[in-house]
Amino acid sequence: MSIKLELQNVTYYYGKGTAFEVKALDNVSFAVKERSITGLIGHTGSGKSTLAQLFNGLEKPTEGKVLLDGADIWDKKYKGGRLCFRVGLVMQYPEYQLFEETVFNDIAFGPRNKGMSEDEVKQLVMDAVSFVGMTPEILEQSPFDLSGGQKRRVAIAGIMAMQPEVLVLDEPAAGLDPAGRADIFAGIKRYRDTTGASVIIISHSMEDMAEYCDDVIVMHKGKVMLTGPKDSVFADSDKLVAAGLDIPQITRVMRLLKENGLDVDASVCTKDQAVAELIRAFKLK
Amino acid sequence: MAEFIEIKNLHFSYGKEESKQQDDVLCGVDLTVRKGEYVAILGRNGSGKSTLAKLLNLVIDDLENASGEILVDGVNILSDDMTEDMAFELRKKVGMVFQNPDNQLVATVVEEDVAFGPENLGLDPKEIRRRVDEALDTVGMSEFAKREPHRLSGGQKQRVAIAGVIAMMPDCIIFDESTAMLDPVGRKDIVATMEKLNREHGITVLTITHYMEEAVRADRVVVLNHGKIAIEGTPEQVFSDAGALRAAGLELPQCAQLIEELIKSGMSIKECGITPEDCARIILLAGGATCQ
Repeated sequence: MSIKLELQNVTYYYGKGTAFEVKALDNVSFAVKERSITGLIGHTGSGKSTLAQLFNGLEKPTEGKVLLDGADIWDKKYKGGRLCFRVGLVMQYPEYQLFEETVFNDIAFGPRNKGMSEDEVKQLVMDAVSFVGMTPEILEQSPFDLSGGQKRRVAIAGIMAMQPEVLVLDEPAAGLDPAGRADIFAGIKRYRDTTGASVIIISHSMEDMAEYCDDVIVMHKGKVMLTGPKDSVFADSDKLVAAGLDIPQITRVMRLLKENGLDVDASVCTKDQAVAELIRAFKLK
Repeated sequence: MAEFIEIKNLHFSYGKEESKQQDDVLCGVDLTVRKGEYVAILGRNGSGKSTLAKLLNLVIDDLENASGEILVDGVNILSDDMTEDMAFELRKKVGMVFQNPDNQLVATVVEEDVAFGPENLGLDPKEIRRRVDEALDTVGMSEFAKREPHRLSGGQKQRVAIAGVIAMMPDCIIFDESTAMLDPVGRKDIVATMEKLNREHGITVLTITHYMEEAVRADRVVVLNHGKIAIEGTPEQVFSDAGALRAAGLELPQCAQLIEELIKSGMSIKECGITPEDCARIILLAGGATCQ
């Protein structure tokens, strides 16, 4: 698969030259594949949110390069178009950013600013609403009459309506109940499958990462600690535990079973994999 | 143990003045919480759990839309005789910690923030000093006493907010999704603080959460659905009834789901494992028996 977004030796300082100077990113390099869902994991302060702001050009690296489709986005000759439309960023608790009188206008805000005709805008809004699993009836309502989970989905639809090639979401499911979480992730997957975009999800939930991501990048103290397909990352669970990070509950169970002498693959990170592995180990069925 | 909170046939709905018909958020809740108990309240978004918490502290408008009784330490707080002074007394007894730590810190120095409550009680400065020091010590934030709250992490801010509540010396603290916006480290800190307040200081704790892992540590779990209590019992009892939990819009903890699948695949397991440790122990035990 080809590479969509790449960071090359990126270092980033907050408040460089002041008393509050902090090195948030230290020589970070990784690549995000086309059509992949990549999980970005790390402690608070590990540099995840700084990365999110580098992806769409809200922040400029102090050193190093950010490449989109191979082009350096900070190069004077960059001609790739407005980054905020190409790389969509859904911030934490995006429902606080809803502001329009109707759901339709709120979702249409992005595409309208992109200079689309009203027919195109309408189509993009309809598409976005269906990505997040809602029906068109909701479009005439005020976003402020919706439940928390619905507001969150409308806010995400507002970014999807710009049809970004890279969709970045910071804790998209935080604070939602299990059904609400499942709705959000199903919507993200539908967006990727339909548009072929790359998706980057920042989350603290190892279980969600194990379930929904293809690749995982683990940040630790401003550096990349692990990166690769999720199975290979969670296979290195010793490293994650040593860094004080959680590992998926299922992986913890499998590790405990292995430590107790059961011959199982301890890198397994989803429930379905674990069931298959245990059926094999116990020769069930 | 004596009953601290007694809720009898509680009904509540929001905003009757609005044109559209509002459904009842709470429709007939009966719940008793004993002094010193640690109770977790679960429920899907919109199940009424936050409304219930806010009513217990009277931090809610439209009280005329409430019916039934809420007895806190023997006083019916929904009664018409309830005065502002009595509400003030109630909030000294029942403290509340909210979801967003940024919304509940008022001062620019940590210890001044914690002192805000006791200062408003008009206490002697020496007593205020003592309470602030003790509260910060309890939540493990003494070394941050002179710091600026906005430079703290989410978990640290939330611990300062808890210290502010403790300084009022309440009998009961309600945590309304107080861990929802925190990272895993912050969440563990807050859950450990809740446990300490309950086990060592005898404070009655009511915690409202979406995280099953947090509910597992409570004495009792109450599941709300559509404004009613759907399930109630010890964590073991509640999490062994997958059908009832799903009917209430919730999901089993991942470990319990794994065991459920293994039972379907023919393993003979009678127990329910909620934590990875329990889950691994149960699987090993059952695996040994199945293979023989």
